[in-house]
Amino acid sequence: MIKRFRMDLKKYWRYSIYSARSQLKSEVANSYLNWLWWILEPFCFMLIYAFIFGEVFNAKEPYFPIFIFVGNTMWIFFSKTMNQSVRLVKQNKSIVSKVYLPKYILLVTKVMVNAFKMAVSAMIIVGMLIFYRVPVTWNVLYAIPLAVTLILVCFGLGCYLMHYGVFIEDLTNIVSIVLRLLLYLTGIFWDIMKRLPAPYNMYVCRLNPIAFLISSMRDCVIYGQTPHRKLMLIWFLIGCLISALGIRKIYKNENSYVKVI
Amino acid sequence: MEEKNAIEVRDLVISYRNLKKTSLKQSLFRLRRQKADNFVAVRGISFSVKEGEILGIIGKNGSGKSTTLNALAGIFSPDSGEIDLKGHSISLLSIGVGFQKEMTGRENIMLSGMLLGFSKEEVKAKEQKIIKFAELGEFIDMPVRTYSSGMYSKLAFSITAILETDIMLIDEVLSVGDQKFKKKSYKKMKKLISDEHRTVVIVSHNISTLQELCDTVMWMHDGEIRRIGEPESVLNEYVDFMENS
Repeated sequence: MIKRFRMDLKKYWRYSIYSARSQLKSEVANSYLNWLWWILEPFCFMLIYAFIFGEVFNAKEPYFPIFIFVGNTMWIFFSKTMNQSVRLVKQNKSIVSKVYLPKYILLVTKVMVNAFKMAVSAMIIVGMLIFYRVPVTWNVLYAIPLAVTLILVCFGLGCYLMHYGVFIEDLTNIVSIVLRLLLYLTGIFWDIMKRLPAPYNMYVCRLNPIAFLISSMRDCVIYGQTPHRKLMLIWFLIGCLISALGIRKIYKNENSYVKVI
Repeated sequence: MEEKNAIEVRDLVISYRNLKKTSLKQSLFRLRRQKADNFVAVRGISFSVKEGEILGIIGKNGSGKSTTLNALAGIFSPDSGEIDLKGHSISLLSIGVGFQKEMTGRENIMLSGMLLGFSKEEVKAKEQKIIKFAELGEFIDMPVRTYSSGMYSKLAFSITAILETDIMLIDEVLSVGDQKFKKKSYKKMKKLISDEHRTVVIVSHNISTLQELCDTVMWMHDGEIRRIGEPESVLNEYVDFMENS
C-alpha cells in the first residue's frame, strides 16, 4: 500500500497543487478586493472577537488579540477541513464518476487550500507579534511541528469523515453539532486551563488534540514557553497513524463510492 | 504478424451491493437486513480486445454495458475477476471533467488534462492544438462560466480528443456543437478511432455507427455476453431480437 501511495502521490501531487490554486482563485475571482479577502477576513474576525471578549467580557489574558487570533486561525483550519470533507466526494461527483483518481487527493487539495489560508493568517500573527512588541524566544520554532501535527490530525480525521460521509447522509448534521461542542471545549476565546475547573481542564487540554495544539501554539509563540514535548510527539504519531489508516480505508472502499452517489 | 491483446477481461463480476445511502437511523435499526440486496450488473464475462481493434458493445438499457466500460476505466472495481490492460494508458472519453467555472478556458485545459493523468508538460505541449481545435478564439482566456453551452462542450470535446491515450473508451459517440463542429468532431472521432494503433471500446445504441466503425461487436444481455463476433451477424441478430421481444 505504501508503494501505491507513493506512486499515486507523485502522479497526482501537481494536479493537487494546481487544483488548489484554482480553487483559491475561483473563490475570489469576482470580488472587488480579490485576494485581499484572504487577509481581510481573518483580520476582521480578530477585531470583532478582541472587542467582544476583551472589552465587553473583560478577558485578562496578556496579548489578548494575538491569543484569540492564534486560536481562531487554527480552529478555522480544523473546522473547515472537517466540514468540507464530509461532502467532498458528493461535491466532486463530476470528477469521481468519470475518471479514476485516488479519492484522498480531493482531500489533499482541500487541506492545501485551507493550509494556504492558515499560512496567510500566520503572517498576520507575525505582524501582530511585532506590533505588540511580544518578546519572542526560540521556542517559537515549535510552531512548525505543531502546525504539521495539526495538518496530519485533520487529514486523518478528514479521511474518515470523507469515507462515511458518502454512505451516511446525517453525518453533516452530526459533524456540525460535534464541531459546535468542540468549539467551546477548545478555548478559542478563553484559556481552558484557567476557566474550566480542575481536573477537567487537564483532561480537555490533553485529550482534545485541537485544544492541546492551540494552547501549545500560544505558549510557544506568545508566551515563550516550551510546549509539552512528549504529548506533542504522541499527537504527532497519532496523526500519522490515523492518516495512514484513513488512506487505507479509502483505498479499500473508494471504488464503491461512485455506485452510491 | 502476431497480434497482441490490449485488454484481457476474465470472469468479470460487478455487483451493486445494497450501497444505497442510508440515514443513520436506518443503519442503526436495520443493520441485519442490509446485506440482503445484491444486484449483479455484470455476471462473469470474459473477453479480450486486440491491439488496434475496435470493439463495439451493444445491448438494451441496463444490460451492464456502461458498468463494464466504467470497470475498464478503473472507476469501479470488479467484485471478482480480472482486468488486464497490459500496461496501456486508458481513458474514458467524457466531457468536461473537473472544470472550474470561474477559471479561464486555458486553465481548465490544464486542470482537466492533469486530472486525466497527463503531466503539466504534456498538456502544455498540446495546449495550442486544443485551443485551435476548439475554435474559441479569444474566449479561451475568459472564465468558463461565461461560455455558451455549445462553447463549453466544444472545449471539453477538444481536450479529450486531442489528449489521446492508447485505449479509448467511448460511451456513445459524441458529437457536439453546431452543424459544422458536429461534422468536424465526428470526423475527428472517426480518425481517432480508426488509428491502427489505438484500441477502442465503444458503447452505443446506434446500429449504423457500430456497423461503420467496429471490427467486432459484443452483444450484452442481462450482464452476460450473448454473442460476440462479426458486426454484421451480431447486429442483425440483435435487431431481430429487439424487434421480436
